[in-house]
Amino acid sequence: MNRALRNPLAFWGFAIIASVLVMALLAPVLAPYDPDAIDVKSILIPPSATHWMGTDGLGRDVFSRMLFGARISLLVGFVAVGIATLIGVVLGAISGYYRGWIDVVIMRMVDVMLSIPTFFLILAVIAFLTPSIWNIMIVIGLTSWMGVTRLVRAEFLSLREREFVLASATLGARDYRLIFRHLLPNSLTPVIVSSVLGVASAVLVESGLSFLGLGVQPPQASWGNILTEGKEYIQFAWWLSFFPGMAILLTVLGYNLLGEGLRDALDPRTNGKGKN
Amino acid sequence: MIRYLLKRLFWMVPLVVGISLVSFLIMHLAPGDITTTEAGFNPKASEESRQKLREIYHLDEPLIVQYGLWLKRMGTLDFGTSFASHQRPVFWEKKDDQGNVTPGMIQEALPITLLINVLSLALIVVIALPLGVISAIHQNRPPDRAITVFVFVGFAVPGFWLALMLMYWLGVVNPWLPISGLHSLGYENMGMLGRLWDLGRHLAIPVFISALSGLAGISLFVRNGMLDVLHQDYITTARAKGLPENTVIYRHALRNALLPLITLLGLSIPGLIGGSVIAESLFAIPGMGKLFYDAVLMRDFPVIMGILTIGAVLTLLGNLLADLAYAWADPRVRRGVMR
Repeated sequence: MNRALRNPLAFWGFAIIASVLVMALLAPVLAPYDPDAIDVKSILIPPSATHWMGTDGLGRDVFSRMLFGARISLLVGFVAVGIATLIGVVLGAISGYYRGWIDVVIMRMVDVMLSIPTFFLILAVIAFLTPSIWNIMIVIGLTSWMGVTRLVRAEFLSLREREFVLASATLGARDYRLIFRHLLPNSLTPVIVSSVLGVASAVLVESGLSFLGLGVQPPQASWGNILTEGKEYIQFAWWLSFFPGMAILLTVLGYNLLGEGLRDALDPRTNGKGKN
Repeated sequence: MIRYLLKRLFWMVPLVVGISLVSFLIMHLAPGDITTTEAGFNPKASEESRQKLREIYHLDEPLIVQYGLWLKRMGTLDFGTSFASHQRPVFWEKKDDQGNVTPGMIQEALPITLLINVLSLALIVVIALPLGVISAIHQNRPPDRAITVFVFVGFAVPGFWLALMLMYWLGVVNPWLPISGLHSLGYENMGMLGRLWDLGRHLAIPVFISALSGLAGISLFVRNGMLDVLHQDYITTARAKGLPENTVIYRHALRNALLPLITLLGLSIPGLIGGSVIAESLFAIPGMGKLFYDAVLMRDFPVIMGILTIGAVLTLLGNLLADLAYAWADPRVRRGVMR
């Protein structure tokens, strides 16, 4: 981790993520107003000393809503990536360790999922379920495990031919010991990198869904649906769409920087390349 | 080449079966059957239309029979008629007894989305290639740093937000570009050039938005590919024998760095098709994305299932094309293929 943070990309990514995370966790303390409190006397006030990011069409304080929206957006990102990573690691491990017909079946499943345009798939599933924050997390998770599966499988395939694994197998180690002691710990680096990058794309997908009105449902605030309201008021109130967009941009940037930085720092191959 | 093509086509069979299974599963995800209100079916829908839906998907038959019938529908590309828009056929035009032709919904929407995707792929290649090459040549120096910043920001910008901002700046504050639909009023009376100009103005922002996310990824990819190639022995040889640097970079290095790009462009097709939902619905462009979004809002199941399938088939075709192009471009694969 120390080595990773000396990488400038990873450092800035980490700094952005940490500040967004702290703001989300401390939302009840930091928020100057109740995020859902409607105030008809202060509708669409531009950013000022009393309302840092202005107010929306119902007089709610946008800054407070952004803070609480951060909780929702990040929660969706983390849980969705958690689901995707879990599925990916399990399937990838099975595929790479046992090979044979089960590998063929799992890899064809990956190909099938990759050939259906993801956003269509997500929208179709949501059309058949009621949109709720839990359904969104599950659907994003269930449609984004393919990359991790391929990564873990590739790692397992190459690791299980290495001497230390062969030695352990020769000494009579059982499957579960080989998998959990030797193969899994040694293939974690690319999994970590891909989950960090995965949070970025999950946050983007959630905000896109909420923007289309198919994600987190109002009055619950998420960055995506604050933006949807901003769309309606775009001619009179730029701040309603500007701030949530910037928040999404910064958060996604943060996770991408951290992910790429970690990849550079932890992957010996790219490490050497820069020095030539 | 023919043998290679046949082999590739053969490998697509399990994928098509898988796609049919996934779409069938999605249809049966809903609690109860899809004609109930729990599934979000319009509660005001008449019993008659509900019955119709059950007939189309044979919901009263056992599951295995339903799946067989769904396979048959996929095989004949017949997805029935839409509920929401006066029984229009979902995929392709139909003639009735009097010889009146009703155009299919996907038939009309697909060329528009394809046009946008082809234009954005072209834009991606035209911009990302030079960026990637410049980045690689000036590795870790200011031009590379600047392009890297651009790449990361490009990755992170939510497309729909940028679209909204551009709509506001270029359509409302400075009304330079039209922000809705495909054609202006009076399009029918324009000359050939006028029509093209009009279409171009309508497509400018949507194509840019749809290209943006791919742009970042592909320029990074070209950069890394170039760096890999530039460190290989034959490049050193080319330099050692005194070739001008430009020849080394553009004739020797770039050509080889470009090969994997073909595959990557093929792989980016599902993302582009899926990404069309937001841009098309925001700009009211009547393509596949908007059609799909409207169908989702109306719970117009035949249209949803039809687009899902056609989208997947398009992706498969795109990947197949990319593989063939790769085989054609790389002599090593080409020779291996011929044997």
